[in-house]
Amino acid sequence: MDNFSNLLDGFSIAFSLFHLALMAVGVLLGILVGVLPGLGAPNGVSLLLPLTFTMDPVSAIILLTSMYWGALFGGSTTSILFNIPGEPSSVATTFDGYPMAQQGHATHALTLAFMSAGSGAMFGVVVITLLSGWVTEFALQFSSPEYFAVFLLTFASFIGMGSGSAWKAVVSMMLGFACATVGMDGISGNMRLTFGFSELVKGISFLVAVIGLFGLGELMQTMEEGLRFDGIHARIRIRDVFKAVASMPGHWLTLLRSAVIGCWMGITPGGPTAASFMSYGLAKRFSRNKDNFGKGEPAGVVAPETADHSAGTCAILPMLALGVPGSATAAVMMGGLMIWGLTPGPMLFIERPDFVWGTIASMYLGNVMAVVLVLATVPMFAAILRIPFSIIGPLIVVVCFIGAYTISGSRLDLWLALPFGVLGYVFKKLGYPIAPMVLAMVLGDKAEDAFRQSMMMSKGSLSIFWTNSPLVATIMVLAVLLLSWPLVSAVLKRFRKVA
Amino acid sequence: MFKTGMIATLLATAFCAAGAHAAWTPDKPVEFVVTSGAGGGTDIFTRTIQSIIVKNKLMDAPIVVVNKGGGAGSEGYVYGASEQSNPYRVTFGTNNEYLLPLVAKMGYATESFTPVAAMALDEFLIWVNAKSPYKDAKGFIEAAKKGDGLRMGGSQSKDTDQTLVSIVSDATGAKFNYIPFKSGGEAAIQLAGGHIDSNVNNPNENIGQWKANMIRPLCVFSPKRMMAGPKVTKEMSWSDIPTCKESGIPVETYQMPRTIWLAAGVSPDVVAFYSSVMDKVRQTSEWKAYIEKTSQTETFMAGEDLRKYITQDTARAYGVFKREGWLAK
Amino acid sequence: MRTTSGVLLSRFAMEIATALVTASIGAVVCFGSLEFGTGWGDAGPQPGYFPFYVGLILIFASGVNLAMALVHHRERLEAFLTTEQAHRVTAFFGPMFLFVLVSSFLGVYVGMILYLFCVMVFQGHYPVHKALAVALSAAVANYFLFEVWFQVPLLKGPLEAMLGIH
Repeated sequence: MDNFSNLLDGFSIAFSLFHLALMAVGVLLGILVGVLPGLGAPNGVSLLLPLTFTMDPVSAIILLTSMYWGALFGGSTTSILFNIPGEPSSVATTFDGYPMAQQGHATHALTLAFMSAGSGAMFGVVVITLLSGWVTEFALQFSSPEYFAVFLLTFASFIGMGSGSAWKAVVSMMLGFACATVGMDGISGNMRLTFGFSELVKGISFLVAVIGLFGLGELMQTMEEGLRFDGIHARIRIRDVFKAVASMPGHWLTLLRSAVIGCWMGITPGGPTAASFMSYGLAKRFSRNKDNFGKGEPAGVVAPETADHSAGTCAILPMLALGVPGSATAAVMMGGLMIWGLTPGPMLFIERPDFVWGTIASMYLGNVMAVVLVLATVPMFAAILRIPFSIIGPLIVVVCFIGAYTISGSRLDLWLALPFGVLGYVFKKLGYPIAPMVLAMVLGDKAEDAFRQSMMMSKGSLSIFWTNSPLVATIMVLAVLLLSWPLVSAVLKRFRKVA
Repeated sequence: MFKTGMIATLLATAFCAAGAHAAWTPDKPVEFVVTSGAGGGTDIFTRTIQSIIVKNKLMDAPIVVVNKGGGAGSEGYVYGASEQSNPYRVTFGTNNEYLLPLVAKMGYATESFTPVAAMALDEFLIWVNAKSPYKDAKGFIEAAKKGDGLRMGGSQSKDTDQTLVSIVSDATGAKFNYIPFKSGGEAAIQLAGGHIDSNVNNPNENIGQWKANMIRPLCVFSPKRMMAGPKVTKEMSWSDIPTCKESGIPVETYQMPRTIWLAAGVSPDVVAFYSSVMDKVRQTSEWKAYIEKTSQTETFMAGEDLRKYITQDTARAYGVFKREGWLAK
Repeated sequence: MRTTSGVLLSRFAMEIATALVTASIGAVVCFGSLEFGTGWGDAGPQPGYFPFYVGLILIFASGVNLAMALVHHRERLEAFLTTEQAHRVTAFFGPMFLFVLVSSFLGVYVGMILYLFCVMVFQGHYPVHKALAVALSAAVANYFLFEVWFQVPLLKGPLEAMLGIH
């Protein structure tokens, strides 16, 4: 129980009035940047970085990580209320969160999201506490073939899920892959599919696509139906909050499954975005209310939120122990670590246990604080919905385009958001699923890089995906099983009917 | 009339007096463009300079740092060059400013920038996994000559790492199977996990793994050994690492300058202003701490020296790119 | 073919058009990837391999969708857009397009003020002073939030330069 006594030491470092105040400030600022699409956690953290130069490293990391938690929570708020994911990892939350809000259950959905997120994060911190030594070993096992297998598993858990036409899903996914290839190819250094436009060298930002497909596409649909958010009852009842909290235990299986997926993806590091998609896919597959997913199923909010946050929390560990940032935000924090005079790596645990365990202890405190603070903001956000649509609609449009512009300060992105908006609108009306496109855009280039790196390692032999390690073989088998699941279950069904 | 005339004369004298010290000073926020993502080597370089300037009040105008690391940094250079003769946009990078346009069609040309200064030289070392049988550079190169090549990891493709690997191969006849990763940090983890045989990372990218005895440095591509300092592991400090030349690899120097640029067409006064600010930056104790922490070699080049250095560096890389067939058509 | 009154665009036409558009995107992707080699080299796939086959699958799948549309939607006179819906969508999309157009020349702030003001006055039928207040306060709030607090510069045009705002 060495870890436990270390953790207690950590608490004694992290628990002070100054640190609690820092946490509150960090969380609130984080919620603010998380709510605005375009201003994400990386922006917020790099902005606060200069402030931390003169701080003690423990205080500095507490401020930055708290901001990160806040941003993760804030990202879910806009996903649920306006169908605009503030962060890539909260895309999957829109699938059921937004329909819930439309049906008048905004408070329920928000509370559910925050509670699941908090539970996921807690689960993640406990895993970190218990397994800190072993996790490093595990993460070191991962090389390109294993990464590719993990990405394949994510795709596999998501495929064959849509109820619509399979070929439309294929078109959607291929469009996503095509967008992901635009820009510099990391393996060969070539500029692919830029057609001579220097603005395209950096690639098509996933966030621009999401703002267009989800935010603008949704607005166009709303306008066409002349709906003006009618479905949403903006009245907030504290009772709704408690009711949602009380319903949490009923989701224990989804919570547990999603938390495990999240931890696994956070450590490996497949990342929070992949984790939330995978967890949503599996929740749907194993649910009894399969058909209600995408139409406002509470479990469809619980699953991605839990996985997102447990992955986000667990990703801090590889950052500290290996110096691999699991996300853009973690990368900024790592830069901070170096400026504060710390070297991330395995020795950090031995040289600066006070810093490591202070950070871990602050994660417990910070997440509890984040849940409380963000729940307190629910009435405020729900009140936004009471503003007449003829004002809030154009304001959302403005926020969407500002978000698109700020991602990389490029004029082209303003123009790109428009066609993505039209695409989102048309696709939705014609029954093309949008989720496969988003998933392909997020993971497409990573999967391709991992595949090509593996091929370079094996000199072109595909057998590397089976023979490289027992780990890669296991994941590949899982992926193939999941891929063939619809087929298997169909055969089983027919079999039963005959018998 | 008389009054106005006098004020004008006074003003003129005031300007002349100021002009003797600094002919140009910024009077609105200055943008520092980082040609790497947040957390990358160039990012830390830029933010360190920013923090030194702010702390020591070396410049009155506020500084805004923007990261534009897309397309191996080309995003930042395209942005930096997009407004010619804009004195409020300073671009931070490495030698990729003049190497990127050689290997791919970019949205800017090397000549779109005026060099301001080179502030530090980052070193390159050969690293292997601690459990591997290679004890010195000689044994490593011998092993790489046999078989069908050792797995060598690096950051990006056709960039500094791969160029160095090509130079070493050419000089020794060793064969490597180069595998590009997204960053040096990723190549470090892959080496620590034993998935690749070696990498040519900068000191800062591998120090964490070296401290934990997971990997081992073999030699450094520097004319003389690195600065002595406190021990990194139980047995060794940076200065105990032999140079590659003394270990029998006929490649004396391979270093990467950390560079600062302005768009072409700015007036010489502007260049003089920024290079004098940078000159003050490098004399601070914070800057010395940064150099020591990241184990780089201190240097300061500006003006004619810098131009000469760039010409030489480009010529050498051009030879390698031509041999490898990387040159952009 | 009979036309139902009010149907501006049939679902059938839209299915066909979408399939054609996605197919042509596929063709562009295929064409663009030819430049880098689409084969399988010694070290695995060449840079153009993945995009090339992604493009091919895209064309093929679009073809299937086209065929499906011909089979399923030909006889049904399902509407994609009725005249009334078209009016509503254009009323929303038009100003949004103009907002982007104006913003890319005059900057986001000017675009934002004009857009919010015009939409509120002409579509929301709000009094001028109210619309002006909302538009201006949105611009000011964004200015402080982005430029001052978070130091993220937004696109600015000649007007800001004239006023000396940076």
